Amino acid sequence: MPEPPERSPARGRGPGGERAASPPAAAALTASGTIDGIPVTVRRGTTLLSAARELGIDIPTLCHHEGLPPEGSCRLCLCEVKGQLAVSCMYPLAADGFAALTGSPAVMEARRHVIWLLAARAPKAPRIARLAEEYGARPDPRFMKDPDGCIRCGRCVRACRASGPEAIALCGRGYGRFVTGPFGRPPEDCIGCLACALSCPVGKIAFSERPDRRRIWERDFELAPCPECGARVFTREQLAFHGAAASALCPSCRRRAMAGELRKAAAFEAAPALARSL
Amino acid sequence: MPNTQNIPCSPPEGPAGIGRRLAGPEDLRALRLELSARPRPKRRLWACGGPGCLASGALEVFRAVEAACRAKGLEEGSAGLRADLTGCLGLCERGPLLEIEPEGWLYGGLKPEDAEEIVEETLIGGRLVPRLAADPKHPLKDGIPFYLPQKRLIMARFGRSRPGCLEDYLAAGGYGALELSVTELGPEETFRRVERSGLRGRGGGGFPAGRKWRALKEASGSPRYLIANGDEGDPGAFMNRALMEGDPLSVIEGMTLGAYALGAEEGFVYVRHEYPLSVERLSAAAAAAEAAGLLGEDILGGGFSFRLRIVEGGGAFVCGESTALTASIEGREGQPRVKYVRTTESGLWERPTLLQNVESWANVPLIVKNGPDWFQATGSPGNPGTKVFSLVGKVRRTGLVELPLGTSVGALVNDAGGGVPKGRRFKAVQSGGPSGGCLPESCLDLPLDFDALTAAGAMMGSGGLIVMDDLSCLVDAARYFTAFLSEESCGKCAPCREGLPVLLTVLADLTEGRGRPGDADFLESQARLLGATALCGLGKSAANPVLSTLRHFREEYLEHERGFCRAGHCRGMYLPEVDAGACRACGACQKACPASAIAGRGKEPRRVERGKCVTCGACLAACRFGAARAARPEGGPDAGTA
Repeated sequence: MPEPPERSPARGRGPGGERAASPPAAAALTASGTIDGIPVTVRRGTTLLSAARELGIDIPTLCHHEGLPPEGSCRLCLCEVKGQLAVSCMYPLAADGFAALTGSPAVMEARRHVIWLLAARAPKAPRIARLAEEYGARPDPRFMKDPDGCIRCGRCVRACRASGPEAIALCGRGYGRFVTGPFGRPPEDCIGCLACALSCPVGKIAFSERPDRRRIWERDFELAPCPECGARVFTREQLAFHGAAASALCPSCRRRAMAGELRKAAAFEAAPALARSL
Repeated sequence: MPNTQNIPCSPPEGPAGIGRRLAGPEDLRALRLELSARPRPKRRLWACGGPGCLASGALEVFRAVEAACRAKGLEEGSAGLRADLTGCLGLCERGPLLEIEPEGWLYGGLKPEDAEEIVEETLIGGRLVPRLAADPKHPLKDGIPFYLPQKRLIMARFGRSRPGCLEDYLAAGGYGALELSVTELGPEETFRRVERSGLRGRGGGGFPAGRKWRALKEASGSPRYLIANGDEGDPGAFMNRALMEGDPLSVIEGMTLGAYALGAEEGFVYVRHEYPLSVERLSAAAAAAEAAGLLGEDILGGGFSFRLRIVEGGGAFVCGESTALTASIEGREGQPRVKYVRTTESGLWERPTLLQNVESWANVPLIVKNGPDWFQATGSPGNPGTKVFSLVGKVRRTGLVELPLGTSVGALVNDAGGGVPKGRRFKAVQSGGPSGGCLPESCLDLPLDFDALTAAGAMMGSGGLIVMDDLSCLVDAARYFTAFLSEESCGKCAPCREGLPVLLTVLADLTEGRGRPGDADFLESQARLLGATALCGLGKSAANPVLSTLRHFREEYLEHERGFCRAGHCRGMYLPEVDAGACRACGACQKACPASAIAGRGKEPRRVERGKCVTCGACLAACRFGAARAARPEGGPDAGTA
């Protein structure tokens, strides 16, 4: 399965993200400090993670997704600020004089610990296995009680919420927490959009596709033909859910249609009178 | 969680309200004068209606007393004789309790059959029935050693008024602080009194209340909310419950004062789901206060309003954590969130919110009424005031104890608690709930205050103290608390969700004879990492049971690695033996042994027949002379080195 894009354009950032990163009222617009000793000035309220990544510093993450509200729950992105560990995906750089460390001994130890714990849950997931290898954190069979492949990061649930249907949720608590549809049944509200499966960092959510059908969460969906070219991309439920707001065209026909509109608009700017007569 | 506690919800409480709306502070003062001028009953029986006594049958006793009163022709309050239910009297060990006013006797261990004698001899006759005294040596409540070190400020009205009864509350000086605030102090001075008092959060963290109050005062945004945290979930702790059930109006008055000082218009009391009686009493008290114009719209005619809602909790331990609690009130799943923005800036519905434990709120009227200097006169520097502790476990007198902060652990355990019973030795006291820590004997001189307990590796927590004797295994205690926390982990962050089961696996191995060399060190590093990486306060402190027992009782861990439990607690990890020199041949161990594995007759010292012994530990518990004890199992790696 392809790795989901880690840094998709920051569209539709959720309310949680703004909450964590919102600058205090009536404060200066920027914050200056250092990350790993490198002086940096950022827009006040920028998270430590995005500031560090801007500098090209690699901080591994699992539950974080640019397009979804952050939760800070996998604890992999912990960095050291003022001698304490802080989740960089939510830590706002809100004042001048910060000095963050992304690779101090304490950070590396914490990171290795988190990977070690999660590796016991998803030992076979390529991304986890790679991290475990890289950080020397191979899981211990003594503690592999339920290696079901899911790391409970909740990205699927947040993706489903962001795309609208809220068909799945994390259920139960503690070690027994798991992702499910209501009452443990296939989620009735699922529209087969694959947001959950594509946002899963460990490829736990399985789905299968035939030319005209898709199967996910033990539910079958029919893929509707594009009215223009007949390509089958979206499920009928997806089109119905988004209703009039969405076009039934497949993405490439939609681009073509959009290009046509743009051409018209350009022509209008160049020669309004002529364009009006088109 | 289903409510399995089957505690009756509607005890007779007498009139809850005052039947009219108070027009203003003068009206309140006049009513209080009128109430306190009423003739006091000639004699009054106060039946304890605290959680412990209710569980041991207090309500049946009280109903029997009422029936006996009726049989004697004593109607409601006639002849100046009364019997009423009140809040927790404290000495739960001897419940159901009954306090007799004005004599000040305390009866205990009562049964419904005693009711007639109580009414005839004591209530009508005014004579003490010695066999009913809670402490045969000290019929007077104030003479019982349990009460000697205590200073009851929060529990002052327990044994003086009916739970949630507005008339009684007013007569005992209640709402005096609100009256003072709206007539003389004003919001600013009310705020300053709390800020200068040095009150520290009674929910466990000990965060200075004044700093929270100032943060809310300076926060922008409206509406602003007040929350009282009554989600008491620690095993063995019930002081918040006793407060909410016994004196709900003190919490409500405290919050009303907060609302007045800080300009909040809405408040919530978040009560643990398993406390239906707390919900009922708080709701009734709030309704009575509202009807009297002391809560709700236009309080005391002064134009300020404060609406209070009683919210039933979500049934999870983690809901006691502030951000999980606000999520739960909002109707979302009770889970903590990353807290880089303080609740006082963005809490409930992302509005400025002040969240305090119910006991913190109950301190507010005292502080406002008497001033910060008065408050600081009790307790120790930096830790003013009193704290209610629930003292349980292996002590002679269990119950709720209110002590000035800074009192020594030993005073609580040995003076109030009466020490460890049955000839056993004190081993440890577990302080601060499941995520607190275990302190050894060397800590008995430690003052009970927020800083000293934290420095010793435990914490104040909400004030639960569990005493353990030498038959308690500290590794098993750590296992118990870790199992509790693992069960109650919300599962949001990886270190707590995945890390607690790792700790639990090792602890289970250690206590079930599968320990491995190096387990203690491994536990220590895992626990330290859990504390460093978890998301919320509960997760960060979830390693404390392991860390504190490792710190003070490491030797026991090392013994468990090699399959030996010196406490004689972990099954199959010791062999009971009788020290012939210490044995007094009382035969108690023989009687207790279910496997007839103890030989010896008459005056000869007893001995354990190894072949028959099932290592259940009954003989160890039965021996009062320390003769029966746990020896290292034979054939173990350390056999012969004992």
